[in-house]
Amino acid sequence: MAFSRGVRGGMFLRSFAIQGSWNYRTLLGAGLAFTLLPALRELYRDDPARLDDAVRRHSGVFNGHPYLTPMAVGALAVLEQEGADAALIERFKSAIRGSLGTLGDRLIWAGWRPVCLLFSIGLLLTGVRWWVVATIFLVLYNTGHLLLRAWGFRLGLERGRSVAEQLRRSTVPGLQRMVSTFGAFLLGLLLPLLAVGGIASARLVWPWVGAAALAAFLGARYGESVRRPIVFALAGFALVGLLLGIVI
Amino acid sequence: MIGWLAVALLGGLVGLDSTAFPQAMFSRPLIAGALAGLVFGHPLDGMMAGAALEIFALIILPVGAARYPEAGTGAVAAAAAYAQALGAGPRPALLLLAVVFGLGWERIAGMSVILLRRENERLVARDAREPPGAEEVERRHLGAMAIDLLRGALIAGAGGLVGAFLLRALGPLWALGSVTAAGVLTVAVTGMVAAALPLFGGFRDRRLVFVVGLICGSLLLLLA
Repeated sequence: MAFSRGVRGGMFLRSFAIQGSWNYRTLLGAGLAFTLLPALRELYRDDPARLDDAVRRHSGVFNGHPYLTPMAVGALAVLEQEGADAALIERFKSAIRGSLGTLGDRLIWAGWRPVCLLFSIGLLLTGVRWWVVATIFLVLYNTGHLLLRAWGFRLGLERGRSVAEQLRRSTVPGLQRMVSTFGAFLLGLLLPLLAVGGIASARLVWPWVGAAALAAFLGARYGESVRRPIVFALAGFALVGLLLGIVI
Repeated sequence: MIGWLAVALLGGLVGLDSTAFPQAMFSRPLIAGALAGLVFGHPLDGMMAGAALEIFALIILPVGAARYPEAGTGAVAAAAAYAQALGAGPRPALLLLAVVFGLGWERIAGMSVILLRRENERLVARDAREPPGAEEVERRHLGAMAIDLLRGALIAGAGGLVGAFLLRALGPLWALGSVTAAGVLTVAVTGMVAAALPLFGGFRDRRLVFVVGLICGSLLLLLA
C-alpha cells in the first residue's frame, strides 16, 4: 500500500528542514526523524509506543547532502512500511549515507552552486540589472535544487532498499562532469571582466590589470590555499590606507 | 531604526537559509548583499559588495562537519553597513573597507554557528540512552530552528550597526585614493575567482575549456 498524497507531501516539505537541528553528535539524525514523522504517524497511528520506538531508531547518527537525503527518507519510509527490522534499517542507513553525501557535495556544492553564482556574477558585470540577476540566480539554481530533491524522493519511494544500487547506475556522475566543464568555462569567461575593475565599477589602467592577471595565475596554480594570504593582504592594505590617512 | 530591524530580520532568514531551512540560497552573499542594500535604498551597491564577498566564499564547501565562516549573515552586515555609509568617503574605498569588514564578521558568524550546533547537540542528542519520543523530537527540532533564526538576526543586526559605525568613522580617513582601492580589490577578487578552478577539476584537466572561456571573456570585453 502506497503512502497517501498528504503523507508524501508532508515528508517532502519537511525534508527542506532536515538540517534544522544539525549538531556534532548525531549530525542530521533528529532532522531525519522529523522528516519521517508523517509516514511513521500513519504507520503506527494506533500504537504510540511503536511510534516513539521508530522515532528513536531514526534519531541516531545520519548525514548526507540535504538535497539528496529525501532519497533516503523515501526508502526508509518504505522499509518501515515493509516492517523491516531495526538492524536492517541501521545497515541501510550506514550504507547509503556516504554515497548521498559525496555525490551531493560534488554535484551541488562544488558544481551546480558555483556555476549558477559565476553565471550570475558574469551577468552583473555585463550590466544586467540587479533584480534580474537575483531572479535569474534564484530561479536557475532552485530549478536544479527542486528537481534533484523531487527525483531523489520519488526514487526512494519507488525503489526502497534497492535505491543505493539505482543511485550507482544513475546519470548523476556524468551530470557532475558536465557541470564542472561548464564551470571551468565560466571561470575563464569571468576573469577578464573582473580584471579590468568590474567589481569596483572602475576602469583600471594596465598595471592593475597586469597585477590582476598575475593574481589569477597564482589563484589557478595554488587553489584555495591563496584565500588566507589574500584576505590578510587585503586587510593589511586597508589598514595602511587608514593609518596613512591618520598620520597625514 | 526600522531599517536596522529589517536588516536583523533579513539576517535571521539568511542565517536560517544557510543550513536549517530551506537552503534556497537567498543566503548567498550575492543575493543577501543586494537585499541588505535594498533596505537602505542601494540594492546595486549591496549586490556589488555581496558579489565581492561571494567570490571569497565560492571555494568554501559545507562538507560534513567542516567549520567555516558564515558568508551569508556576514554579507548582510557588510552590505547594509556599506549602503548606509555611502557618501562618507570615496566609494571604492568604502567598498574595500566593507569587504574587509565582511570577511572578518563572517568569521564571528561562523563561530556562532559552532555554538549553535553545540547547543543543538544538547537539545536533540543529549539523551543517548533514552532519546525523546515523536512529539518531543518535533518540538526540539523546531526549537533549534527558532534559535537559529534569532542567532542570524543578532549577528547580522549587530554586525550591520558596528560596520556602519566603522565605515562612517574610517571612510573619510582613507588616504590612498579611489583608483588604488579599486585596483587592490580587483587584484584580490581576480585571484580568488581563479582559485575556484580546482573545484571544476583544476587547470590540467580543464585547460581547454578554461582558455576558451578566457578568450570569450576577452572578446566580450572588447565588444562591450
